[in-house]
Amino acid sequence: MKTFKTGGIHPPESKFTENIPIEEMAVPAELAISLNQHLGKPAKPVVKVGSEVKKGQLIGEADGFISANVHASTSGKVKAVKPHPHPGGQYAMTVFITPDGKDEWVEGMNTSPTDWRGFSKEDILAKIKDAGIVGMGGAGFPANVKLSPPPDKKIDTIILNGAECEPFLTADHRLMIESPEEIVEGLTIITSLFEGQAKAYIGIESNKKDAIETLTKHASPKGIEVVSLKTKYPQGAEKQLINAITGRIIEPGELPFDKGCLVHNIATAVAIYDAVCKNKPLIDRIVTVSGLEIGKPKNIRAVTGTSFRDISLFCGAPKDKTNQIISGGPMMGKAIFTLDVPIVKTTSGILFINNAGIDKARERTCIRCGKCVDVCPQGLAPWLLADVAQFREFDEIQLLGLANCTECGSCTYVCPSKRELVHWIKYAKALVNNRQKRKSA
Amino acid sequence: MISEAFIPAVASLGSVALTLGIIIFYVSKKFHVEEDPTVTIVNGILPGVNCGACGYPSCGLFAEVLVETKDSSMSCPVGGPDLAEKLGDTLGITMAEPKPITAVVLCQGDNDTARETAEYLGIQDCWAATQTYVGPKQCRYSCIGLGSCIAFCDFGAMRLENEIIVIDKNLCTGCGACIPACPTGVLVMQEKKAERYYIACNSHDKGAATKKACDAGCIACQKCVKVCDDDAIVIENFLAKIVQEKCTACGKCIEVCPTKVNCILLEHDLKEVKQKKAS
Repeated sequence: MKTFKTGGIHPPESKFTENIPIEEMAVPAELAISLNQHLGKPAKPVVKVGSEVKKGQLIGEADGFISANVHASTSGKVKAVKPHPHPGGQYAMTVFITPDGKDEWVEGMNTSPTDWRGFSKEDILAKIKDAGIVGMGGAGFPANVKLSPPPDKKIDTIILNGAECEPFLTADHRLMIESPEEIVEGLTIITSLFEGQAKAYIGIESNKKDAIETLTKHASPKGIEVVSLKTKYPQGAEKQLINAITGRIIEPGELPFDKGCLVHNIATAVAIYDAVCKNKPLIDRIVTVSGLEIGKPKNIRAVTGTSFRDISLFCGAPKDKTNQIISGGPMMGKAIFTLDVPIVKTTSGILFINNAGIDKARERTCIRCGKCVDVCPQGLAPWLLADVAQFREFDEIQLLGLANCTECGSCTYVCPSKRELVHWIKYAKALVNNRQKRKSA
Repeated sequence: MISEAFIPAVASLGSVALTLGIIIFYVSKKFHVEEDPTVTIVNGILPGVNCGACGYPSCGLFAEVLVETKDSSMSCPVGGPDLAEKLGDTLGITMAEPKPITAVVLCQGDNDTARETAEYLGIQDCWAATQTYVGPKQCRYSCIGLGSCIAFCDFGAMRLENEIIVIDKNLCTGCGACIPACPTGVLVMQEKKAERYYIACNSHDKGAATKKACDAGCIACQKCVKVCDDDAIVIENFLAKIVQEKCTACGKCIEVCPTKVNCILLEHDLKEVKQKKAS
């Protein structure tokens, strides 16, 4: 069984929702559609307060090269455009829409499936760009940018990421079981952009046997190889997945296309299929609602802008003991402070957790056991990075490879002294950024 | 004999010492730099903390430039008027009266007034707290109250009191080292004056949102603008601002401010003003 070579951990899988089919969630009474649902510059609002919008209408225009369009997820009236908490841990400009209940598509929208084989490469890329598709695994990198690598970089390997290595999350797992045709079709579209020279793989962790079977059945006739990967965190991280499947190592400072690779999440492949064949913009996604403190853990399909509050009520409301709500998975997700936070294109899960018993002053001294070095998939020394961050030696920390840290959280997970290693690294990144901003200003 | 053994050692080391001595003598004559002794004197008068408040990276460089240019407008905010007088005497010029400046906190959202969002369990540092929204306080413009700036103050003028930064006006020298240490930008430098008003709030939220997050926030109600005879108060982006050039420190705005703590006097303790208004 294939796996990445350096580091890694195996936290309890806790996939409570893996056998629960995806449930459609109706459009709630109010939507808060964030204009920052991707990596890069937030979209520019193109609607005014009071104007009527239709489902699929452009409300935020991509602002710059690395940015993505944002569309209304239902028809209704724009109530407000103001900053609002974002599940990523900041505030972002958000368009509030009061739905009219008709859920009407924007005029001239043809959502009946068409064959994409007649389209040119430029048409396909334009459709992906217009639909505002971003990487749905978590980082939210605009898909059209990822699909147009510089001409001198030859892509020979395309990988679809179905590893879903985060505990609790099962959104991708359910999608693989319920829409294998769309996934394979989406992957074929991606491969066609590289003149069919690239070999396509779908990487799935071995704890999802049913998904591997289903996809092998659909993908094998098309020459796509489904790779069973060892269940190990962070198998689904881009660099680790490339290493596991091809054996190639992405060196610090390199991007996957430098080694001829391209990785997309399986949900992104479905979104690409929807955009190219059905002209559908990215306005909904599958979210795993789980954790021990939610009434009924579920996989749901909800439109972007649905608040965590509406979702929690749809899933049987949080129990009384809930004292922490996490957007994303338990390893890399962010704790949020209000249920008014809306879901965005990159929200893969919502967890309701009771962390009672966690000592507030829990961080203790490093005992130099070296566990964090053992598990770091990037081959860094997290304890040293955290120490140097604590003493604000920001020139030195960059030499130690601060930028290579993917913040996967493996080091914090294994630390017997309960040190907040990733948090210190994030802190250092924030201050290094701030210093560079000051220097350039 | 023992003395015979010494001769080659003394001779060789002596010749090395003599050669080096000649080289040093030659070099010191050849590359001699005429140094103004006043630079050393001026450098001795300066505080010597190299804080950078004057705009120069060190006290030494400030002294050099000052002696060279004899620019009377240069000033050391840390030393204040006493130092300016001393410098003037040394250089034989009249130094401009330095404008003493001080850091002020544009926030009064302490434990009693600001409402919290959630319990923050992470690293107790403001910059670390900005990773999950803006720390424990609801207002995202506020003083986060974890005291990252304290470590940056060379003069011990900052302390954390009731989850908000308090600046000791007697100790603050106005060097400005704390300004880049604050992630929300509630610290600003202002001129020290006997009587001075400013709006101690940084929230650009609309009135209702500010009120919800904090009892001591500016809700942009315009009352102070109407009552001000000197047109010294303007409201920009839902936050009142006092134009210092126009303000005559009459104190009318303090009386009408509905959130009670919006305008304060620098030279009085915050608590005194609060008591005065309450009575």
